[in-house]
Amino acid sequence: MSNSNLFLKSGFVRAPLQNGVGRYVCQLQRIVLKFCKSHGGSRGLRDFIEQDLVDFASNNPGVVVYLKPRRHRSPVVVAEYLNGDRVWMNMHNKTHSEITKWIEVLRTQQGDIASTRLRKYQYTDYPSVQGPWTPFTFKDPKLNVAELPNEEFGANNRLPMSATEQLRIMFEKQTLDVKPQEE
Amino acid sequence: MSAVKRAQQWATFARTWHIFDCKWQDPYESANVIKKYLMGLHKPIYHPMNDCGDVVVCINSREIALRGDEWRQRAYFHHTGYPGGATWTLAWELHNKDPTMIIKKAVYRAMKGNLQRRHTMERLFIYPGEVIPEEVKQNITNQIRQIRLVPTRLDHIPEEEVQKYPKVMDYPEDYVLK
Amino acid sequence: MVFLTISNLIRVRGPDEFWRKRRIFRLAAHFVGRRRNCYSVAVRNVHRALVYATKARKLKKQDMKDLWNTRISAACEQHNITAFTLKEGLDRSNIMLDRKSLSDLASWEPRTFECLAAIAKQKLQLDGFIDTVDKKYPTGVNLNLKDVMLEAWLKEKK
Repeated sequence: MSNSNLFLKSGFVRAPLQNGVGRYVCQLQRIVLKFCKSHGGSRGLRDFIEQDLVDFASNNPGVVVYLKPRRHRSPVVVAEYLNGDRVWMNMHNKTHSEITKWIEVLRTQQGDIASTRLRKYQYTDYPSVQGPWTPFTFKDPKLNVAELPNEEFGANNRLPMSATEQLRIMFEKQTLDVKPQEE
Repeated sequence: MSAVKRAQQWATFARTWHIFDCKWQDPYESANVIKKYLMGLHKPIYHPMNDCGDVVVCINSREIALRGDEWRQRAYFHHTGYPGGATWTLAWELHNKDPTMIIKKAVYRAMKGNLQRRHTMERLFIYPGEVIPEEVKQNITNQIRQIRLVPTRLDHIPEEEVQKYPKVMDYPEDYVLK
Repeated sequence: MVFLTISNLIRVRGPDEFWRKRRIFRLAAHFVGRRRNCYSVAVRNVHRALVYATKARKLKKQDMKDLWNTRISAACEQHNITAFTLKEGLDRSNIMLDRKSLSDLASWEPRTFECLAAIAKQKLQLDGFIDTVDKKYPTGVNLNLKDVMLEAWLKEKK
């Protein structure tokens, strides 16, 4: 078998445990914002932390937020999900509004969906209304009681009528036509 | 998978046992039909990699009919692998030796030569006569239709019916039959 | 490192050698044995694999088409019509279903497919179109030649 799915795992368009039907469980569990306090590349992330982070944390009590300042390194956001996925995202030189949108994406997605190849673009739990085909769907019920092998089911019934048969039928029609006249 | 879905899957992939009467049939034509059932090509769920082939039981393989002069003309080649190990067996010789062999080879050759072919052939049962072992017979639930009509021999029709059958004309009194 | 001679310069294939090779090794990661570990072997096989992948994009479509055709003709068989009858009949009744949806219907919604088969057959019978492959009925029965041609035949006799 081929190992072409070595790096990119495959999956279907599906919410885990019918998430969002009746109740919603935020799949994001933990988010770590790593940034530099002085470097320009972290500016957008610093703005986000100053202005929006407290609101984000209070709006999402289920999400653990960590801040990790580190000197002279690129800003990074790492999100961890209920299914064990870990998404690492570089935020270098990203503006405040961009980062707001990306954090929103990380919060609402259900796992590492960016690294999943979709086998199909649609999915259903109920693929069939009438019930899928089975060998018994269009079976002749007579076969249930028939003793096989049987001439009735074994002979070819899709052949054109033979000349002998046609002659015989013609003859029988003739005799039928003749008889009433005699009487 | 719920119990209902599991039962559904069993139903869809259930193996059917078919019976095929080889009496008066051309083995090479019927091989194409048998092949279809063996490989599962008659199901709308067919896929080369799913195991949806059925079982086919062939009976009366002793009474197959070859076309024209083929009993004498067709030769089956076999090589033992040793020098001078080539043999050519004529169809009638092979048929006398093993009456199931011609139909078996015909089905084998009708299928594409891949790894699956030998496993598919395991699902083909051939019997020279009408007698089938009971454990095979009890599984059979379907019959494959023959390709040709089986002709009835004149000496097998009762005398009364022959007499009653309409005639186009009578031979003249002085006509000498060959 | 200082290169003093031209012959040494030939060896240098640029500073990105590591990344160039790494790109190939990434593509060869799922190969077996030396094909994934030795660059000179790996690169050959990666090129071969990419060629196969290019060709397979077209072949995949053909394979799917063949598979659908097989499934449709199998499904038609159980309703005593041929795949040609189905296609011709549906075309004439303006039912534009492609092979994929037909084969999907055949396995997932068998009763719908049964109706489609019946429609196709009925339409062909209405049109007086005889499928020569289907020999169940003697040719010409569905044409109702008697009704159409009877007057013409009577005239001929006079």
